[in-house]
Amino acid sequence: MKLNLKIWRQKNGQTKGAMENYELGGVSSDMSFLEMLDILNEQLISEGTDPVAFDHDCREGVCGTCGSVVNGQVHGPDAETTLCQLHMRRFQDGDTVQIEPWRSTAFPVLKDLIVDRSAFDRIHQAGGYVSVSTGAAQDANAIPIPKNDAELAFDYAECIGCGGCVAACPNGAAMLFTAAKVAHLAKLPQGQPERERRVLAMVGAMDKEGFGACTNHFECSAACPKGVPIDAIATMNREYLRATFLSKEGV
Amino acid sequence: MLSWIERFVSSSVGRKALMALTGLMLIGFLIAHLAGNLSLFAGDEGAAFNAYAHGISSLPILPIAELALALLFIGHIALAVKTTRENRRARLIGYQVVSTHGQKTFASQSMFLTGVTVLIFLIKHLWDFRLQKEAFEVDPFDSVQTALSDPLTACVYILGIVALGIHLSHAFGSAFQSLGFNHPKYTPLLRVFGKVLAVLLATGFLALPLYFWLGQGGSN
Repeated sequence: MKLNLKIWRQKNGQTKGAMENYELGGVSSDMSFLEMLDILNEQLISEGTDPVAFDHDCREGVCGTCGSVVNGQVHGPDAETTLCQLHMRRFQDGDTVQIEPWRSTAFPVLKDLIVDRSAFDRIHQAGGYVSVSTGAAQDANAIPIPKNDAELAFDYAECIGCGGCVAACPNGAAMLFTAAKVAHLAKLPQGQPERERRVLAMVGAMDKEGFGACTNHFECSAACPKGVPIDAIATMNREYLRATFLSKEGV
Repeated sequence: MLSWIERFVSSSVGRKALMALTGLMLIGFLIAHLAGNLSLFAGDEGAAFNAYAHGISSLPILPIAELALALLFIGHIALAVKTTRENRRARLIGYQVVSTHGQKTFASQSMFLTGVTVLIFLIKHLWDFRLQKEAFEVDPFDSVQTALSDPLTACVYILGIVALGIHLSHAFGSAFQSLGFNHPKYTPLLRVFGKVLAVLLATGFLALPLYFWLGQGGSN
C-alpha cells in the first residue's frame, strides 16, 4: 500500500520543528509500524537525506522504549498495544498518517520523534524501589499475599515507563506512571517499610519536573499499552493523604 | 513546623484533594440552596419563600456561614486557577492532530470554562440578591420575580446553570477519585449518581428563571 506520511522533523532541542510530508509506497500490511518507518528511512538514506529519528529497542512490546502519537492517538489506534506491536494492516492504501513525538514540557524533544524521558528516571529514583536487599528469592508461600492484592500489584507493575500516559493526558500529567509504582509497592508487604516516604518523595519529584496535575480525564489508562488501571491514581492519592495526615513521615 | 502543610497544599495531589473537598462542600450548599428555592413554587404568592428568606437572614450564625461559603468558593477557584495554569504550562507545544482514547468528555475538558461561566453568573446573582440586600428583604419573592422577568438576567442565569450542570457532571465522580476513593463496587455507582445529581440540580435551578421569565410566576 501507499501512504502519505506527515512526520514531525526537528533537528535538535534548540531548533524549531515542523511537520514534513513523505510519500511511501510498497508498504506491506504485514509490516509493523516501526518496520514501515525503517523502509522510509532506507529511502531517505538512499536519497541522501537525514533519516527520521525514533526510539525503539525490543520491538516486542515489553521494553517501553518506542512510542509516538499516530493520528492523535498515543501508540496508534490499537488498545493496549505499543507502537512496535502496531501493524500496518490497521491502515489502508492512501491513508494519511500523522506521526508526532510525545508532547510534554517535561519531555523535551531531542530529535524528530525522540524525547528525553529522564524525568521518569528521576521520579523513579526518588522512591520507586525497596531499599532492603532481599537476597535470593525465598519460598513462594513464605509471605502470604491475598490473591486480589497480588493481581492488582501485578497490574500496576506492568508499567513499562514509555511515557504514553503523559502524552495522552490533556494536562501532560505523569500521574499514572508515578501511581503505578506507588500503588504496586503499596500493595505488597515488601513495600510497607518505605510506603509513606516513597509516595511523598515520588509525588514531590513528579511535581518538580513540570508535569501537569490530574483532572480525571482517564485518557492515560485508556492509552496505556499495558492497561495500567486508573484506580492506581486513586490509590496514590489515598497513599499521599495517608502519608501526609496519618504518618510521622515528612514533618 | 508547618512545612508539611505547605508541602501538601503546594503539591499537585494535595491541591486536587482540596479542590475535591471544597467542591463537594459546595455541592452540599447547592442542594440546600435548591431545597430552599423550591419554596418559590409553593403557589402562595411567595409567602413560603418570604418566610424562608427572612428566616435565613435572621439566623445569628449567618455572617459566619457566609464567610465560610465565600472561603470555599475562593479556595476552590484559586486552586483551579493554579492547576489550570500549571497544566497549560505542562504542554506548551500542542499536537497537530488532537484525537481521543475515548475517555475524556466535553465536561472533563471544559471544567475551567464552565467554572468561569458559573463564576460570571455567581457575580450577577450576588449583585441581584445579596449586594442589594435591603431592597431584597422588603419582599424577597417580588424581588426574585422582578429580577428574573428581565430577559437578560434570565439568560445569564440559564447559561450559568447549564454550565453548572456540565461542571457537576464531571465534578462529583472526579472528586472521589482525587480524594483517593476508588472501589470496584462503589465507583461505578458514584459516577452514575454524580451525573444524576448534576441533572437534578441543573433542572431544579433552571426551573426558576424559566418559570419567572416565561411569566408564570405569581401575580401576572
